[in-house]
Amino acid sequence: MIGASAYIAWCSAKNRVRVRLRRLREPRYLIGAIVGVAYFYLTIFARGRRPGVRVNGRGGGPPALPAQFALGAAAIGGLGALALSLLMWLGTAKSGLLDFSEAEREMLFSAPVSRRQLLVHRIIRSQFGSLFASVLIALFATPVTGSGRIRLAIGVWIVLLTARIYYAAVSLSRARLQSRAASTRLLARLPLAFLLVALLVVVTNIVREFRDVVVAGPGDVFVHLTRVASAGMPRVVLWPFAAVARAPFAGASADVVSGLLPALLVLAVVTAWLLASSDAVDAVAGQGGGPQEKIEKRAAKVPQAARSVGWTLPLHGRPELALFWKGATEMVRGTSANALRIAIPLLVVIVGMTSAMMGASGMRQPAGVVSLVCGLLAGVSILFGPQMMRTDLRTDLQHLELLKTWPMRAAEVIRGEMAWPVAFVSLFASAAIVTSALFSGTALPNQPFVDRWSLAIAVIVAGPALVSAQFAVHNMTAILFPGWVQLGSQRTRGIDAMGQRLIMLAAVLVSLIAFSLPGAIAGGVIWLALHRLVGNVVLVPAAVAFSVIVLVEVLLVTELLGPAYEKIDVTSIERPE
Amino acid sequence: MPIAVSHFTRTYGSFLAVDDLSIDVGAGEIVGLIGPNGAGKTTTLRALAGILLPTSGQITVDGHDLASDAIAAKKRLAFMPDEPHLFEYLTVEEHLRLTARLYAVPDFEPRAKALIEELELAGKEKSLPGELSRGMRQKVVIACGLVRDASVLLFDEPLTGLDPIGIRKMRQTIVARGRGGAAILVSSHLLHLVEEICTRVVIMDRGKKVADGTVAELASRAEAAAGSNLEQIFLKVTGRE
Repeated sequence: MIGASAYIAWCSAKNRVRVRLRRLREPRYLIGAIVGVAYFYLTIFARGRRPGVRVNGRGGGPPALPAQFALGAAAIGGLGALALSLLMWLGTAKSGLLDFSEAEREMLFSAPVSRRQLLVHRIIRSQFGSLFASVLIALFATPVTGSGRIRLAIGVWIVLLTARIYYAAVSLSRARLQSRAASTRLLARLPLAFLLVALLVVVTNIVREFRDVVVAGPGDVFVHLTRVASAGMPRVVLWPFAAVARAPFAGASADVVSGLLPALLVLAVVTAWLLASSDAVDAVAGQGGGPQEKIEKRAAKVPQAARSVGWTLPLHGRPELALFWKGATEMVRGTSANALRIAIPLLVVIVGMTSAMMGASGMRQPAGVVSLVCGLLAGVSILFGPQMMRTDLRTDLQHLELLKTWPMRAAEVIRGEMAWPVAFVSLFASAAIVTSALFSGTALPNQPFVDRWSLAIAVIVAGPALVSAQFAVHNMTAILFPGWVQLGSQRTRGIDAMGQRLIMLAAVLVSLIAFSLPGAIAGGVIWLALHRLVGNVVLVPAAVAFSVIVLVEVLLVTELLGPAYEKIDVTSIERPE
Repeated sequence: MPIAVSHFTRTYGSFLAVDDLSIDVGAGEIVGLIGPNGAGKTTTLRALAGILLPTSGQITVDGHDLASDAIAAKKRLAFMPDEPHLFEYLTVEEHLRLTARLYAVPDFEPRAKALIEELELAGKEKSLPGELSRGMRQKVVIACGLVRDASVLLFDEPLTGLDPIGIRKMRQTIVARGRGGAAILVSSHLLHLVEEICTRVVIMDRGKKVADGTVAELASRAEAAAGSNLEQIFLKVTGRE
């Protein structure tokens, strides 16, 4: 089976390269490849030649850290690895390693090979991705050169491989927890039990450490956490996690063997655990042997039951609102309970870290924490929300064949596709701003009420316009360059695709600046004219002027994009390989 | 004429997919579009549905030019593709409702109920596409096409994925719509289906129309033996005997 797997992997890789070379005949891919190669050259190979940039010399190893810091980094890395391992148990998503392709399910599950061999096959097939990522990280690591890059790549590869196999083993163990056999359930619980014991030991010691000390700042937190993680029982239970976390830094000559061996040992144990759990492969991979529909249900990546959204689409009204409803429904159903399970612990971590920072800077009141966190959330959602929330044409180009048959004007389709994500991001940001402003009195007691609320209202007014402008830019690029846009969760790979993404990023930034400039000038003029008369209250009319101008621009752009939308050729859209 | 295709040509880069095709389909006619793989059938249907723009030529639906009066034309046509494109987070009922809203269907509720019964989708109204078999998803696409009163129906391999009962019902549905006055163009490789339900057949090969007429007319023109079926005629016309 190993020979067959290697053959599949080799042929797939060879043909993928052939396809990528062949598509360079198209100008868009050729330009993308040129930009990608230039980026690689400038960031990796030409970097060492720049004046003022020093490298470690020939054969330099991974970053040489001060001994104390290196010890702390490994310990903290171990804590991080423990936290990640717990998150993997909390999630319900299937590991990518167990994500058998349709061809694999059709051809290999029916072939005379054991499930254990199938797992080995998947591990072999995943190596190209892991190796590519490791090499990329090693190439980008600034102070490392020569054989040091190879050692760093090996360390990173061990980390990635261990994480991948661990997650697959967790997925299988979760399935084994449902087994009817008590012994299987017991064996499946063992790794989880170890993890919980480790967590208990670490948390108990962290609480004990921090109980009687006053934390002076983030650096102090690092020192205390390092002390906890590198001594006594926590050191014992964190050993496997720290061993893996230390692997990328094990390049410093003497540490190569002693640094990598423990990580390899952990990798071997985790692999053995995965292979021992192979009896659950069918259940996880959707090959349980039930009726075909059940198999398809398990294999599908969408939820199996339609969650009620409490909103029935009225049969009359503007077509944009129908797409608004569609976007809202898809988002409600697309946000799985699993995502919430990940998001809530993350939020807890963010709030905890913010509390620590606020505590260190003397702002102890919870209100201050709330105000700061909400302000940060609003800023992040306004600036990055449109990039992250892709439930517009960037996703629906997949359904272009259907959209184009609808009797709607192109501008209506574009506005309809944008409507829900714009509303959602704007409402979220506005709610965060209001919350931040409500608690800002305690957080910023020296700032006058009027100033604080003027700023908050200005952001609430200007935010939706800025969000709309960003969505307009993203949808504009999707329409004008459909071949360069990632559809949904698809990710086109290759150096040409990377170059295309860089060009797109630059184009989005330039377009956004061009979009915002007229509104910013108008707002600036109002600010200059009225600031001396009314003080910071002027922020509100300035924001109104900005918003009106930007929103008119957005409307105009959606109208102007109509002909381009009509001309999009379904064949020009990039399909996943 | 509900469907009028005049000198339609479509290229993909340097590849000529459809070359100077002209077809008319009248009200109540069921025209079968057949041809070997790569003949240009799907390209023709996609252009008729407004998905692909013609490289040259003109397509009109109920007298509305698909290029200059696209919305009026699209309101009158329903395209049922061979590959069911559904939104993964909308239920069967919501797909129908969304279609009804976009096409301003006046009496949605009774129509949807009747269609759900007719296509044997009862009990699946609240199901997401991920819960449905391929045949069921195909039925949802067909239901979305039939929920409105389209005067032009375009079917691309309508029987793909359907079970024997579904195939029988679909045949009956297509014939009933044709008798009801709709202009229907059906692309299929199932020649016995085409022979059974179509009033006229158009044969395409390498992007060109190579034959157009009733089965009897085609047999006569192809000088096929008496009593030849469509398969024999097809093989003779396309030179693949």
